[in-house]
Amino acid sequence: MDSKRHGTVDEQLVRDEAVVALPPERESFNGHKQTVMDPEQFHAAGEKILAAINKVIDGKAEAAKLALTVLLAQGHLLVEDVPGVGKTLLAKTLARTIDCRVSRIQFTPDLLPSDVTGVSIYNQSSRQFEFRMGAVFANIVIGDEINRASAKTQSALLECMEEHQVTVDGHSYQLGEPFMVVATQNPIEMEGTYPLPEAQRDRFMARISMGYPDKLSEIEMLETHQAVSPLAKVTPVVTSADVAAMIATVQQVYVSQSVKEYTVALGRATRDSARLRLGASPRSLLQLLRAAKATAALDGRDFVLPDDVISVAESVLAHRIILDRKAASSGDTPQSIIRAILASLPVSQDAGAERRGA
Amino acid sequence: MSAAIAVAVLGASLSLNGVFRGWVWLVPAITTVFIVGLTLAVLRALGVHPVLTTVGGLVALVFILDFTFFRPESIAGFIPSGATLDTLGQFLKRAGETVVSETAPVSPNAGIVFVACAGLGLAVVLVDALAVPLGMPATSGLGLLVVLVFPATIKPQSVGLAGFLAAAVGFILILGCSQWFAPDSRLQNDTAHGTGQLKRSMVIGGVALVLGLLLPLAVPGFERGTFPVGSRLNPWGVSNGLNPMITLGNSLRNPTGDGSITYATSSTAPVYLRSVTIDKFDGDTWAPDDREASRRIGPGRMAPDYPLPSELVRQVTVIDTGQFTSPYLPVPYAPTAVNGLSGRWSWDPETLSIRGEDGTTRNQQYTVYSALPALTSATLSQDNAKPTSISQDFIQLPGNVPDIVKNTAKTVTAGANGNYAKAMAIQDYLRSSQFTYSLQAPVQGGYDGNGMSVLADFLQQKSGYCVHFASAMAVMARLEGIPSRIAVGYAPGHSTGATVAVAGQEPLPEFQVDSRDAHAWPELYFEGAGWVAFEPTPSRGVVPAYASEPVAAGGPSTNLHDENLVPGSSTPAPSTAAVPPLAAPGVGAGTATGSGTVLYVTAAALLLAVLVASPRLVRSGIRARRLRPARARQRGSGHAAGPGPPRDGPVLAWAELQDLATDYGVPPVPSETPRHFAARLGTSAALGAPVAAASPSGASDDAGRRALASLTGDFERQRYGPPAGIPAIAAAEQANSAAARIAAVRAAFRRNASWIAVLRADWFPPSLMSRWFQLLWSPFRWRP
Repeated sequence: MDSKRHGTVDEQLVRDEAVVALPPERESFNGHKQTVMDPEQFHAAGEKILAAINKVIDGKAEAAKLALTVLLAQGHLLVEDVPGVGKTLLAKTLARTIDCRVSRIQFTPDLLPSDVTGVSIYNQSSRQFEFRMGAVFANIVIGDEINRASAKTQSALLECMEEHQVTVDGHSYQLGEPFMVVATQNPIEMEGTYPLPEAQRDRFMARISMGYPDKLSEIEMLETHQAVSPLAKVTPVVTSADVAAMIATVQQVYVSQSVKEYTVALGRATRDSARLRLGASPRSLLQLLRAAKATAALDGRDFVLPDDVISVAESVLAHRIILDRKAASSGDTPQSIIRAILASLPVSQDAGAERRGA
Repeated sequence: MSAAIAVAVLGASLSLNGVFRGWVWLVPAITTVFIVGLTLAVLRALGVHPVLTTVGGLVALVFILDFTFFRPESIAGFIPSGATLDTLGQFLKRAGETVVSETAPVSPNAGIVFVACAGLGLAVVLVDALAVPLGMPATSGLGLLVVLVFPATIKPQSVGLAGFLAAAVGFILILGCSQWFAPDSRLQNDTAHGTGQLKRSMVIGGVALVLGLLLPLAVPGFERGTFPVGSRLNPWGVSNGLNPMITLGNSLRNPTGDGSITYATSSTAPVYLRSVTIDKFDGDTWAPDDREASRRIGPGRMAPDYPLPSELVRQVTVIDTGQFTSPYLPVPYAPTAVNGLSGRWSWDPETLSIRGEDGTTRNQQYTVYSALPALTSATLSQDNAKPTSISQDFIQLPGNVPDIVKNTAKTVTAGANGNYAKAMAIQDYLRSSQFTYSLQAPVQGGYDGNGMSVLADFLQQKSGYCVHFASAMAVMARLEGIPSRIAVGYAPGHSTGATVAVAGQEPLPEFQVDSRDAHAWPELYFEGAGWVAFEPTPSRGVVPAYASEPVAAGGPSTNLHDENLVPGSSTPAPSTAAVPPLAAPGVGAGTATGSGTVLYVTAAALLLAVLVASPRLVRSGIRARRLRPARARQRGSGHAAGPGPPRDGPVLAWAELQDLATDYGVPPVPSETPRHFAARLGTSAALGAPVAAASPSGASDDAGRRALASLTGDFERQRYGPPAGIPAIAAAEQANSAAARIAAVRAAFRRNASWIAVLRADWFPPSLMSRWFQLLWSPFRWRP
């Protein structure tokens, strides 16, 4: 797709309005005062969003669902794949289906932290410093090729991701809610790049790789994307208030004792595995469970099943664990090891355990 | 731990009670066991190397044995010396002789007690070595078994309940305590749960014990029929056993017949050789009474205590015992002198039985002079006086004489007048065609042996061998006031055709008896005539003329040497032609035990049916129990909450679904979520092909699939959903339908499974079987 490699912030807002004010619903959001959707409503809204995305991106329903899951779970997404498979398109489509603001940062080696966060500029007329918000002040921030930027800039973004706020010159500025960073990484051109260290990869809730579309989808894509930009026909299907309500709903999803036990057992299994040098961190388990909650909600349920945990485990955990050298040389991948662990980890189903659990 | 082992071994040794006579052996046994156990415990407490501990135990065993048995010959009282070895040799020789010649219960002489103590001490060391250094407490039971197996096979009452229980308690103690002493460090960490472990092992052991006791009772054919030996291992100890009476039965059933005795006699007819008499009829087992107090040494001149008639028929008999080994000397009745014996022998003036004091009958050649009153039925029938000149021992009966014996005695002797007539009536009754001679019937009928209860069985079944006939007649005679005793020995045997030259006599015809001629017969006392032998056993031996009915004998009753006296056991005497000769075992048992056999077969078939059906029954029971709460809630929907948590329904239904799937070949995988499992089940062939919607069965398969989906949904919601997630009404609805859904799924399974699979699911449900096997193996698994 479009690979713009200018050395500046390419603040390409999908919607015309400039970044002027913070969204008004932010405060109330943090106060958890949102009305909670019931599961059916939630399911319908989720379906609507996914249908809209799938109209634009062919054959990537899995990736689309995961992206939405991460958004609803208040996480951040790392998309790692070769150029031209629709990473940015996915992020943009997701942002467009929701009535919210999107900004895009093309990372380059000379990008400065202030380009991301914003900068205070002296206003001659008012004789005051004014804060010019950076690209991060949006609901969905697309960070293209994040591994090209310097470590300093990367950390600036990562701090925003973690804190949901920007601090410049002693002032803290809240970021919009919902806030989600979709960062892409290009694994092919590694020269002159600063790949994210493990600690920073841990900040991303999930990593997905788009993969090439299948034959039919690719043919269809060639036809439909010929004339007009696919994004042109995307219209918002839900409001950002709806999304906020959805996020609140996800937080209300019930997690039973046995699912918690299962999640912890999964984490411990990765730590105990002889083939892994680094297992899943407690934070990764927290995020895993949040993603599972969003999955459950998208499935129209108000409780988490082990299935939900399993379905997101690979995406959530694979980029955080580090293979043992022996395992790496024998052809194992993080994904394959997680799959193996999931296949051997018992899901307690007996009635006795249930009575304890409930 | 060592205490537990000592208790176990001692407990097991308690069962030796019946192997030895009296309790003299117990004190040395206790000291031996405790000294060895104490040594082991002290050495272990001192932290000595395990191998040295065991060696130390052995040394302690040697010392204590030395101290107990060879004190005079030893250095400092307990260290063995050269002289000790000589004594040891003597002891072992005595023990060996005792083992070969005597039958249980044996007299506890020093030799045999020494061997027993040494054995018990070795058992302690063995059990200890297995349990502690080798860390196999369960295997240490072998050591106890070593002790238990002897009484089990030798004693008349088998092991006996007390000994068995004591050994079992000791073994459980070993198992329980082993937790603390396990050399496995993994187990030692667990000491905090030590008492719990002990308790748990107690419970498990207790249950296993009860099962072990009850199972033989429940399994038909374990104690009789093909496996009569099974009863030997039964701790309830029904009375049967090994004493002169029982060895008789075994000797008779032994078809080869070894250890033959040859004799030559001046008597015109071959003689009965009598070894011993049995005169005390109480207790479960009748055994000879040695009357130690009144025994006299030296059978060179013997005279009975009771008056004999003046008219005596004197005989001389030369006997060569050959390989025959017994403490009691076989002589023709009534011996007046025995010459040529080697060793010391004593005799009992009451019974005239001769016993070796320090030797056996092996390889003895001796000459017996005997004198028998000349008896005729006429002289005998004159005697009606109440016998006064003999011990009351011969008339006493225990209180437990079964009614059938009393009644039979009364009926049989109803018309008889006088002691002799009564005796004849009893003999005739027993020789009548109602009774058959069979060696096998008592074994099959479970009354092989002697004792009052056996007698009752015999009179019911009317089939048995000499022991039964003889004891029946003896007991019935006593009931009628005639003193009686049972003589054990040998029937006349058969002629070898050779002759033996005896000094001062003409060459005497030689006869041979072997173990097939082993016999028992009653002797009744008549005042003035002395002890008179009778022959109530059909087809065996010879009926003395005086004991033959004048009519039946068909000749002058005074003729002592009847033509009918054909020696030999295998051919029936013609005088007893009325009696069916040597009934074949099967036929003998035929009518009498016919109904019994049918009963056993029926019981066995029933038991087998129950066994075969039990997995099915248990499985259906489990299913019903799982689905019952649902139905109960359906009925009792008035009180909404119900007694139990209403949310259990879906879980139980799910468990049932899993088992059902297992039964039909789709077992759940532990790492599977409910949804995965349901999906796999749904797409598997067990529920039929998903595309078969058009076929008539397709619709119902679909019903099964739908039921599966809703079962899964309910379970997931119940299992993972919020606690108060389900409204009460919905819960009740779910519960109601759970049973129906399970039924739908099951129907779908059955429709799509092959008939073999259906059969297996019905009769050997894999879900149940695997659980049972797990249960079976779980005691053998060490828990980390």
